[in-house]
Amino acid sequence: MLTKVLSASHFGLEANLIEVEVNVFKKGFPGFNIIGLPNKSIEEAKERVKTALINSGIDFPNLKIVVNLAPADIPKEGSLYDLPIAIGILASMELVKLPEQKSFFYGELSLDGGLRHTKGVFLLGLAAKSKGIKNVFVPSESANEAAVLAGINVYPVKSLTELIGHLNGVAKIEKLKYIARGLLSTDDSIVEFDFAEIIGQESAKRAMTIAASGGHNIFMMGSPGAGKTMLARATSGILPPLNEDEALEVTKIYSLAGLIPAGGGLVSVRPFRTAHHTTSRIGLIGGGTNPHPGEISLSHNGVLFLDEFPEFSRGTLEALRQPMEDGEVSITRIAGSVNFPASFMLIAAANPCPCGYLGDPKKECKCTPRMIMKYQSKLSGPLMDRIDLHINVPAVDINKLMSNPTSHEASRGAIANSKKIREEVIKARDVQNKRFRGLKVYTNANMKNKHIKEFVDITPEALNLLKQAVNTYNLSARTYFRLIKVSQTIADLADSKKILPNHVAEALQYRVRSE
Amino acid sequence: MKQLNRLVGKKGEEIATDFLRKKGYKILDQNNSTKWGELDLIVTKNNILIFVEVKLKTTEDFGTPEEMIGKNKLAQVRRTAEMYLLNNPDIANKFDRYQIDAVCIVEETGRVTHYENITF
Repeated sequence: MLTKVLSASHFGLEANLIEVEVNVFKKGFPGFNIIGLPNKSIEEAKERVKTALINSGIDFPNLKIVVNLAPADIPKEGSLYDLPIAIGILASMELVKLPEQKSFFYGELSLDGGLRHTKGVFLLGLAAKSKGIKNVFVPSESANEAAVLAGINVYPVKSLTELIGHLNGVAKIEKLKYIARGLLSTDDSIVEFDFAEIIGQESAKRAMTIAASGGHNIFMMGSPGAGKTMLARATSGILPPLNEDEALEVTKIYSLAGLIPAGGGLVSVRPFRTAHHTTSRIGLIGGGTNPHPGEISLSHNGVLFLDEFPEFSRGTLEALRQPMEDGEVSITRIAGSVNFPASFMLIAAANPCPCGYLGDPKKECKCTPRMIMKYQSKLSGPLMDRIDLHINVPAVDINKLMSNPTSHEASRGAIANSKKIREEVIKARDVQNKRFRGLKVYTNANMKNKHIKEFVDITPEALNLLKQAVNTYNLSARTYFRLIKVSQTIADLADSKKILPNHVAEALQYRVRSE
Repeated sequence: MKQLNRLVGKKGEEIATDFLRKKGYKILDQNNSTKWGELDLIVTKNNILIFVEVKLKTTEDFGTPEEMIGKNKLAQVRRTAEMYLLNNPDIANKFDRYQIDAVCIVEETGRVTHYENITF
């Protein structure tokens, strides 16, 4: 008998409807075949399904079984077809009754007949919503991902036996309650470093605050051990929480990448990703035959930290240029073209030269001019042009390091800790969210030029100063607009409605690179 | 040598025939050979048509009979069986289900093992 069960396959962030057709023949040699361009992980589903059915107390039929994943010309991968295949076989043997309403079945089977946490359930939920499919049967550990979407019935399935009982009307599975989005956000992200622990570097901390508020890219240069890495890691503690729309975008990507832990729902902590300099271009940008998101997409709406920036291969760095400008990356492969969002805030850290001590007041640089040129040539003009804030992180004076923090505090007033800075950042981000409501733009850094015309209010004096600077330093058109964006963030931090000359002056100070 | 092999094979088939008959199988055909391969035994029980591959080894010193039936051997038996079904449509239509079994015999110890419905 032939049965058809609905499931889905993922291509990029889109889910395609897949019909799992199962036919159990009455005649012929026993066998189990899966067709419809399955990859290795689906081929292996045979053994998982067979064993899971037997361990659920079902006699696996000694008959010829053919499973077709239609449409047959889309390559399919992943372990998610285990459940639809098993249900298809059971329905063909007339051991279960398929629900009358259209339903998605989705999930990986364990050999004991239980269901395992499967990636992509959030995307499945979205597909169910857009394609008008009422019910989704998913592993209970992944079900929360779909439960954040209103309008679909999400059934959390623990095991095959439970689902058989449900479909036959013996013991119903309770469908999950819709999880309101507000309930999910958690503020207790554990951070490694607090800004209060970083001694000195006041200007760098200020620049970090601006960058975090407006989502601006930042580039730190300084001698080894000055605290660049510490500053970057501490930044994860001052990032504002994701707003609803941002959280949905991030959850899509994380669900596809399988980065949502078992039982997790909507991602609420802003991503902070670190990539080592040996990361390949595909690893950073995304790619593969069936395109997968890279680090830049995984840090969408969050932070990507690239330490030892000039150590990355040239091709990898240059590939960042287009996504940094557009906020998304388009990956084209034979199977088709995929757009992944990649609107991230870049934190890059570098030494000024291979030995690291160029320009250090105390230690001599041992590099030859040629070595320095070669090292710095990695930081190409177009790439550096896209970075809004350039700061120097000089080595901290030993006396300052050794001084007792309490006496230090007494002399200069309390050092701002991450919690306090975060409040400032959240306030500035709220101003931006209000400004761009309904535009799918969340930060000043993501403003397009038309938005600048529409939203930015700059005083004539400030504009004059900006013009002068552009002429004197021969700044590019892109830099001009980026300067306005940074000035806007500084104004937001100062709670000023207009951009004043001192805001522009501060923005300029971060722009002009000291050689 | 070929002569000897055939003799050993014949002995195996006799043991297997007796064995299966005692188990309640009905023997339909024996040593049905085509150009591509040979079907040692064709038997039936419970309305299932069964093609039996018989493997006899005199001793287990040089490997068990089970080791001699691999993926390729099974494919060969299956192909031959399909050929047989095409050539004998009346038999093919009489049964709904077909399967391939193996009977492994070790002469020295007198072990006879029956494997039902083998697949790889």
